[in-house]
Amino acid sequence: MRLETRRLLDRAFSSLGLIAIGVMALALVVILTPIIVRGSGAFIFRSTIEHRKVMFDQWDRGNAGRLETAKAEVAAARQPVYDMLAAFNTELDAMPRADRKPYKQSLRDLEKALAGLLGPVPGERTPVLIRQQYGATRWDRTQIKLDDVLTTEEWDYSDPTALGKLVRTPRVEQFRGTKLEPLFPYVEQNIKAMMQPRWTCYWQFLFDTSKDSHIFGGIGPEVLGTIYLTLGAMFFAIPMGVIAAIYLCEYAREGRVISFLRICISTLAGVPSIVFGLFGLAFFLNTIHISDSKSVLAGALTLSLLVLPTVIRASEEAILAVPRAYKEAAMSLGAGRWRTVMTVILPAALPGILTGVVISMGRAAGETAPIIFTAAVSVGRPLLPLEALSQPTPALSWNIYNLCTEHEAVDEIRHVQYGMVFTLVAVVLLLNVFAIIMRARISKKLRG
Amino acid sequence: MKPKAHSPKRSLVMNASTSRLRRLGAFLGQGFLFSVTSLSTLTVFFIFYFIAKDAFPFFKLEGFREFFTSTHWYPSGHPAEFGAMAIFFGTGLVTLGAVAVSVPLGISAAVCLSDVLPFNTRQIVKPVIEILAAIPSVAYGFFALVVFAPLLQNHGGIVLSTGAWLILTPILSLLVIVLGDLLADRFPEALRRKARWICTLTLGAAALTGMMMLGNHLSAIQIASGTNALNVSIILGIMALPTIVSVSEDALQATGRELREGSYALGATRAETIMKTVIPASLSGILAAVILGVMRAIGETMVVWMASGNASRIPEPWYNMLEPVRTLTATIAGDMGEADHVTGSARFHVLFAMAFCLLTFSFVMNLVSESIVRRSRKKLGK
Repeated sequence: MRLETRRLLDRAFSSLGLIAIGVMALALVVILTPIIVRGSGAFIFRSTIEHRKVMFDQWDRGNAGRLETAKAEVAAARQPVYDMLAAFNTELDAMPRADRKPYKQSLRDLEKALAGLLGPVPGERTPVLIRQQYGATRWDRTQIKLDDVLTTEEWDYSDPTALGKLVRTPRVEQFRGTKLEPLFPYVEQNIKAMMQPRWTCYWQFLFDTSKDSHIFGGIGPEVLGTIYLTLGAMFFAIPMGVIAAIYLCEYAREGRVISFLRICISTLAGVPSIVFGLFGLAFFLNTIHISDSKSVLAGALTLSLLVLPTVIRASEEAILAVPRAYKEAAMSLGAGRWRTVMTVILPAALPGILTGVVISMGRAAGETAPIIFTAAVSVGRPLLPLEALSQPTPALSWNIYNLCTEHEAVDEIRHVQYGMVFTLVAVVLLLNVFAIIMRARISKKLRG
Repeated sequence: MKPKAHSPKRSLVMNASTSRLRRLGAFLGQGFLFSVTSLSTLTVFFIFYFIAKDAFPFFKLEGFREFFTSTHWYPSGHPAEFGAMAIFFGTGLVTLGAVAVSVPLGISAAVCLSDVLPFNTRQIVKPVIEILAAIPSVAYGFFALVVFAPLLQNHGGIVLSTGAWLILTPILSLLVIVLGDLLADRFPEALRRKARWICTLTLGAAALTGMMMLGNHLSAIQIASGTNALNVSIILGIMALPTIVSVSEDALQATGRELREGSYALGATRAETIMKTVIPASLSGILAAVILGVMRAIGETMVVWMASGNASRIPEPWYNMLEPVRTLTATIAGDMGEADHVTGSARFHVLFAMAFCLLTFSFVMNLVSESIVRRSRKKLGK
């Protein structure tokens, strides 16, 4: 082969590697961007008057006087809509029965769409479900609901060979020539006056409980549940892991027993997380009955087993990274092995251990499979610390799954789902960034 | 309280009884440490025992044959059927897909990290890998279900052809340049420059037409459901990447400087050094990395549960990645909710039987990778 060809091959080889790294970075960006962008939309968004009403009615937030004036303005803007409906109803009554019939279903659909946009008709009985008491609370939802009012959607299956086609027709076609015809342009043009959108920072999203299965409110119980589970898991995993690491590094003599223990640890690290969940169910709940039902305690214990190998390995690495000279100096001053470990090695290894602990905290916070059978419920109130011993809790990771697969109004609460994912990812990433920075500082220190 | 001063009377020479006391204390302390350590490591036996304890009743009730050979999975039917073959197949298919995504990408990235990039750039790239590893699996699942699946479903053809273009363009263009160069070598010296141009251009044109045809073919595809094996494979591949990259990078680093310098001294280029010296020397480590990546993909629950479609049947034809599949982990997670109030029934125990299969598989894989790593370490003399 010629020298130039070889050089070319060499370049090609390097660029393949670079492409691989580029693809990896791209994947990271592609995955994180929608989560960050739409997730922050749960906190900062254009809220409508309905959002302010919810806040005031359910959480006592906001200025009562200002809300009343806004309500009056909005009511004035919405009045023509209801007037037109009333006029149409009288027009309908005057019609002969045969003409009236085709309008009935269309009118009912229109009223439903309008209720989704504006909330219940003023003066009527308040509905029982909270979600029916208010219109669209967010401006992005308002656009969608407005579209529902203005157009109808139907699936056309007339061609059996192809997939069904979506046909969209303006709803106004159904009411041509009636008194309702001007309603549609009116709603379209005056939507801002009817909803009064305004940029809002709803930071209480993190702490609020949810109302009417997450349609209103925040993710407070989930955040609290995740905190309990994570701290609980670390409460069990740190002492066990650090002690095991101390023993393995400082006391154990290499031999059969130790290599056996090491194989056990690596096997534990390889156990699929769902198997941990089943083990937690079979052992903590069904065998030793640590609590009557699922509980935070059982979940935390299960999670602690899951992160144990990580904690042990990280602590071992940190202890081994302590320079030998430290240990020898302590020993030569007459300190025993225990004293050396406690006063010299552990303090020196502490930042490293902490790094590992922080990373495993992120892991524990994000794991879902182990807590499905041991700790998580879909809906719950925030727990007091003592209740956590015996009661299940909602948790971010489980509720993300639950809300985007099993919720009855999946599309209505996309912002809540994104907000949860964003919160979870932000927590985990912050923990990891903290660990990365700490590790960089340690390695700088060790290098001198 | 005043700090207790050391009594000057305390002699430096220990008498027999204190010495014995101390030794006893040290022994007890060590015993305590040992017991905590073994307790935390022996958990793995606890796990085996309790999973097996609940798994065996299933085999006693239903036997082995149906479970491993039938594809009829109707645990709540009358009579209930527990044919899990399609589920095993789904697990295998998804894992295979994840390997196809992550192994080439991961190994080239690891090579690039360990041998190509300068130290400073490496320090920037490594956190990217760590962050990829840190993102919770449920967030990946959410992405797969809420972002990726609708995209596949609504614009499947475009996504597929764009993906093919993105992957194949760089690879093919490199291939064309290198092949053109190699072909040009056959020509006599005087014609070589022209020949190289001609060869490269013809090859390039051929590759481009091929790509066009492939792209057209792909963009005509309509995907019936966005939650399918392809979706899950790609996401699982991304999730397995960090494991593969970091373990195989360690293996590549462990071969050491001397080997590389020896190869360079013989006049090899970097690519030749890596392909002919470094990779063969660290092959076992890379294999271990692949095994760990496979284990990560097999054991993953949330992504497959959310985005694989959970249809318990073997796709038609079997390699059709665009069909929904169902995996072991997703079955355990999904069916336990319905089964845990019927503790003791076959329906409950079958899930433990699946978990037992998973556990045994990951245990064996783990032992294999451990022994590979240990042997390679011995070979490298470390």
